[in-house]
Amino acid sequence: MNRKIFIVLSAIILAGLGVKAQNVVKELKADVNRSAGTYYSLPAIKTEHDTPAPAGMKPFYINHYACPSSYYLEKGEYYNDPLAVFMKADSLGKLTKLGKDVLRQLVIVHDDAHNRTGELTIKGMAQSRGAMKLMVERFPEAFTKNGYYSARSVVQNRSILTMVESAAQLSKMFGPQTVGTRVSHGEQSFMNPQDKDLTDDRNDTLTMERYKRFAALNTDEIRLMESLFNDQNYVTINVDPYILSQQLFRLAGSIQHTELAGRITLYDLFTPEEIHRHWRKNNAWNYINYGAFKLNGARQPFLQRGVLRNMIHMGDSMLKRNNPVAHIRYTNERVIMGLACLMELNNCGLETENLDSLEHHGWADYKIAPLGGSIVMIHYRKHKDDPNILVKVLLNGREARLPMKTDCAPYYRWNDVKRYYLRKLYRYESERFNETNKTTRSNE
Amino acid sequence: MNNDKILLFVRGLVVLFVSHFSLVVSQAQTVMDLIREKPQYASCNYNTYPDSIVTELTPAPEGKKPFYLSHYGRHGSRYISSRSGYDIPYTMMNHADSVDELTPTGRRVLEEMRLIMADTERRWGELTNYGRKQHRNIARRMIEHFPEIFCKGARVKAISTVVPRCIESMGAAMIEMFRINPDLDITMDASKRTMWYMNYQDPKLRKYMTTEARKAYDKYTSGLLGNTRLMEIIFKNPDLVKEIVDEDYFNYYLMKMGLFQQNTDRYKDTYLQDLFLTEELYRMWQIDNALWYIQCGAYKVNGGKQPYSQRYLLRQIIADADSCFKLVSPGAQLRYGHETCLLPLVCLLGVNGFDFETDKFEDLEENGWWCSSVFPMGSNIQFVFYRRDIKDQDVLFKVLLNEVEASLPIKTDCAPYYHWKDFKDYYLKKIDAYKE
Repeated sequence: MNRKIFIVLSAIILAGLGVKAQNVVKELKADVNRSAGTYYSLPAIKTEHDTPAPAGMKPFYINHYACPSSYYLEKGEYYNDPLAVFMKADSLGKLTKLGKDVLRQLVIVHDDAHNRTGELTIKGMAQSRGAMKLMVERFPEAFTKNGYYSARSVVQNRSILTMVESAAQLSKMFGPQTVGTRVSHGEQSFMNPQDKDLTDDRNDTLTMERYKRFAALNTDEIRLMESLFNDQNYVTINVDPYILSQQLFRLAGSIQHTELAGRITLYDLFTPEEIHRHWRKNNAWNYINYGAFKLNGARQPFLQRGVLRNMIHMGDSMLKRNNPVAHIRYTNERVIMGLACLMELNNCGLETENLDSLEHHGWADYKIAPLGGSIVMIHYRKHKDDPNILVKVLLNGREARLPMKTDCAPYYRWNDVKRYYLRKLYRYESERFNETNKTTRSNE
Repeated sequence: MNNDKILLFVRGLVVLFVSHFSLVVSQAQTVMDLIREKPQYASCNYNTYPDSIVTELTPAPEGKKPFYLSHYGRHGSRYISSRSGYDIPYTMMNHADSVDELTPTGRRVLEEMRLIMADTERRWGELTNYGRKQHRNIARRMIEHFPEIFCKGARVKAISTVVPRCIESMGAAMIEMFRINPDLDITMDASKRTMWYMNYQDPKLRKYMTTEARKAYDKYTSGLLGNTRLMEIIFKNPDLVKEIVDEDYFNYYLMKMGLFQQNTDRYKDTYLQDLFLTEELYRMWQIDNALWYIQCGAYKVNGGKQPYSQRYLLRQIIADADSCFKLVSPGAQLRYGHETCLLPLVCLLGVNGFDFETDKFEDLEENGWWCSSVFPMGSNIQFVFYRRDIKDQDVLFKVLLNEVEASLPIKTDCAPYYHWKDFKDYYLKKIDAYKE
């Protein structure tokens, strides 16, 4: 009992400290790569500790949803467009010494990504294996030769490669009899759900106005333009500072995924304040699209309801399995971010319409769905017929807080977890049902 | 001649004799026999991999050890790549059903088609469980056959085209390799960067159906397409129904629909396949074999240059090998791609006489140009290299087509082994002589 109280108290204290320590400025300073948000590469290094499971409880089922590992930027234009701006300016003698230096670096970054856009990087491959290695080492009871391991991916090559690398790592570490992979369009409903009616509401007029105002307040590119171009008249006529700055910032964040990391950087073009501002804009945009932003209805996380429902369904289906099972799924950053918000992990469930308040509440995209990040639900039991299943959830490797009550955090009773989430989903679905009915009726 | 050479010579003679003998035996087996044994042989590129084949491999040449393996393989069994192939007979059947023209058998056929459509929906082109299994088995046998190459710490560099079924095939193989030998040094990649040789579709050679070729093909297939017997068992009034069901198309695609199922989890359901007689399946094989010959073979009528579409792949295989020879233990290079590369590559190399040139489709069968034997799902070509040590200048190799030792049209004194120098000399000259 004493131990329980101690665990609860320490969890509360730790959580409290966590809130205070959630100082984005400090975290960006400690690792500027975090400012890339969902494009931050989560290091696969052993840093997390595990709160021991209550006596006698052992992990028997792992339900794992992950982002792809590090990859090159999706579109060729992300590399080509800023390069074109610099080349043109250079041909007209409009670049400062720094500007010329940037041009040289842009060429290197561009060439490195040539014909590899959207593809997993070498670092990403190692990261995939590293993340799986950490997990196997952390939960050895759940990874045994007689276990059943099924890996799935959405139909996107970087996720597929992340999947095969991870599955190969499993095979390498303990050679289980069954390591299956599967890639199919037929599984979209729980791997990457689509719901046009819902996503159409994302960027309504009010939301866009709010975001534009927020973005305008967080934009000042004069210093950057003066540092890169020697003729501000030329800039006024030929360059869109807002877009160019965004492009350079995006490229700055992309270098961490490649072999160029540590050799060149574009972050030093920006002051810490500018970096913070860029991050704030992107973070707010992610919140609007995937978080519970009140202005567009606070419903976007429900896009992932099929994923959560599948998670619950699979959890129930695995109760009586003799040997350990793991479902290892690779989807995309958007799904993980929406799912974290829907599950209200840590502070992800935040509902607000104040975009300025996000970082005070600790809603930071790089902590939610970075590349190589994951949401892992681990199921514990004493024996096969144990009715009291406990679960804990890891968000990017760290034990996460769930929105329901528990007396043994970070462990939660499966029945409580299930009840809370199912009620939440039913509530939403009932609302949607009523809305649709009303619309249909009024149309009649 | 020292002792080693004599031994090698004698062994070569024995192998030559054995391979000649086996050729005679295999020639005694006709395409019709093969189809009777395994109906999906008739579906050419949807033929399943001959996974059960156990083949004797000739021991390594005296004093030499296998040290490097270079491979190009096709993805494993998959679903049909687009719905149009299934939609054609399905729509025809639905039309016929709506005007009450289906016999009881016809209705059962339609029901089967519905099941197949439902199973395939949203899985067009995707790898099946059977496909994964094929690659696991091929990878396992690769290690079993050549443990010297796949030794502790050996490098295995696997690359795939950017097509998901190929990446997954590569993954299945590598998962199996790690399971058998966790100490391998495996890397995987799938990138647009290697597509110029991994899946090169020559825009010029893609226009293989020239007017002359079309004329010859139409003439050849005109007598082969229809199937009155089938029409009679499926439709109440075959003559009336002809207005809405094209007999040629219907026969062709319904047969395909039946045969393709062997690649999926529904392989036990052979109802559609069983509707067809061996002779009818054989006719379809003739039609498709001729089409693949036009597309990938040295068909004189359209210029005979189709195999050259894989010149970059061959160059890369040669370049990779040459650079690997400089390493003490180069390991293996595995490439996962498509049948539209593998078949022309085999024709370009002239493996087992597949460089056969003709202008008559009628000659193909007699001369062993049977595409179904080359590129079933999971098909592969493996070059296995042998040498004494890194200083050995006379590197020997052999070619395995679908894991069976194969012949090349170049001279050798140690078949099934060939001298790498002879190979390079012959093929580089051959590709160099090709004018784009």
